[in-house]
Amino acid sequence: MRFVDEFRDPAAARTLLGAIERLAAPDRHHKFMEVCGGHTHTIYRHGIEHLLPANVELVHGPGCPVCVIPMGRVDDAMWLAEQPDVIFTCFGDMMRVPGSNGSLLEAKARGADVRFVYSPLDALALATRNPDRQVVFFALGFETTAPSTAVTLVRARELGVANFSVFCNHVTIVPPLKAILDSPDLRLDGFLGPGHVSTVVGNRPYRFVPEVYGKPIVVAGFEPLDILASVAMLLTQLREGRCEVENQYSRIVRDEGNPAALALMGQVFALRPHFEWRGLGFISQSALRLHDDFAEFDAEQRFAMPGVRVADPKACQCGEVLKGVLKPWECKVFGTACTPETPIGTCMVSPEGACAAYYNFGRMHRDAAHLVARG
Amino acid sequence: MTVGTLDQELAADLAAASLVLARRFAAGATLWCLAPSWEPHAQHVAVEFVHPVIVGKKALPAVALTGPDLVAAGRVSVRAGDVVLAVAGADDPQVRDVLRRAPAWGATTLWIGSGGRPPPGAADHVLWLDDPDPALPATGGFVLLYHLLWELTHVCFEHPGLLTEQAPGSVCITCSDEGRLGEVVAPGRVRTAGGVEDVSTLLVDPVAPGDLVLVHAGTAITRVDP
Ligand code: SF4
Repeated sequence: MRFVDEFRDPAAARTLLGAIERLAAPDRHHKFMEVCGGHTHTIYRHGIEHLLPANVELVHGPGCPVCVIPMGRVDDAMWLAEQPDVIFTCFGDMMRVPGSNGSLLEAKARGADVRFVYSPLDALALATRNPDRQVVFFALGFETTAPSTAVTLVRARELGVANFSVFCNHVTIVPPLKAILDSPDLRLDGFLGPGHVSTVVGNRPYRFVPEVYGKPIVVAGFEPLDILASVAMLLTQLREGRCEVENQYSRIVRDEGNPAALALMGQVFALRPHFEWRGLGFISQSALRLHDDFAEFDAEQRFAMPGVRVADPKACQCGEVLKGVLKPWECKVFGTACTPETPIGTCMVSPEGACAAYYNFGRMHRDAAHLVARG
Repeated sequence: MTVGTLDQELAADLAAASLVLARRFAAGATLWCLAPSWEPHAQHVAVEFVHPVIVGKKALPAVALTGPDLVAAGRVSVRAGDVVLAVAGADDPQVRDVLRRAPAWGATTLWIGSGGRPPPGAADHVLWLDDPDPALPATGGFVLLYHLLWELTHVCFEHPGLLTEQAPGSVCITCSDEGRLGEVVAPGRVRTAGGVEDVSTLLVDPVAPGDLVLVHAGTAITRVDP
């Protein structure tokens, strides 16, 4: 029953599932990638992938910002956190991401002053309350989160908060999509585009997906019905021989995004020439640094950080999972050496990481899902 | 459905809504009822829950919201954790507006009606009679539905083990691409399901009290149409 309840409107869910079954070509296997970690979480939490017909497969992409942080950047964060007089702040999940010498949580246990915050504005407030300490914010996330960092930096400058800085690890959504589309490992039939990222960037940046690569993309909301409706829209495009950017999440996402947010990001950030993504390697122009006008707040300039590149542990297959080449349970250490309590790879840390989402929800839903689908 | 019979889908919806309602009541919720076109339905639902017709059943807090401005009434009445129940057609603008805002007030929403269905996501639970007859609200079909809702809610109360809600799993703000609905109280102050928060509204300015926005990591990143 729990399974059905969570669809909110089970009748609508069944109608959509019926449509998906009719639209999926029986002689084809359809493979769609959901780019966003929030979608991955919804899909596993509600057992959606097990409700879909066998020839419609969802693969999980690199949309969890914690999952794509390379080990070397975690080590830099640990180094920063362990500097005297530093209060190091980050979002909660980042605390558990393993670097080569443990996690920020372990650094905290060793005595480093690491605090988790809900917003970069909270980190700035901490800096104003602690003028004798250096407060560093570990900024990460896609274009949904970058505006909040930009707003914070503008406010920091207005207030003249000299003891605040940002360790910037913001990434952008389009370059990894390109990298995945260029990857020979993976043959995809379309994408579920990110929801809240698109409230900022709008729908236009995805046009290259149909225009250059000939794949449809549907910007999707986060409710189970949104996911099902978006899969049906992708299949409809394929059935009708169309290939477009469509917006299923039009109740929130506007075509042009948020121009004010984009303009502010343009002032505060600049593109890095390249940035390392866990599992995807170096991707050019895929991440943001602070613009020279905001260099005074750049932790990478304020502190002499080691900046060493560190290879992933040998057992870790996060790269293949992030590219959708492997399903989480196909990793050799999934559920044995690597669990949410003792993560080896990043995908097991955040509940939105494909491995943690599958570990927490996916394993329990197969049988229930088939019962519901039949019901 | 004809009065006296329930199809399987509606029965499942009713069971799911009753369980949620029982859980909310067990956690201290008040049920706020509105039916702008048929006010007696709002009063009937409220009295049903407050004044149980079966001896020994628990009286549950329920209030009919009436008056010319239901959004304003809901805004001052509804607390986080409450339930808002509407009896109305899918095109009722006041009901759509109240139910759109209710998540920002922290409330669960339930919509009873007939004819064309509301769009997906318009309410957390939709109990719908697909019969297009415009006279249906006067025939007793709705009364049967909310009587069953009341009765099933009490059935859930007989099984205390059902009343404990699973704690929602933690989500990472950035990894989940979080976006919480908020209602602007004043520039820089936004009401969300978590209470009134300091939120930067710089990127959606100018804002006015009552505007709806999406909040991510302490910043309103877009406006949301009411
Ligand atoms: S199970 Fe662990 S090591 Fe393997 S892919 Fe998942 S997170 Fe990475």
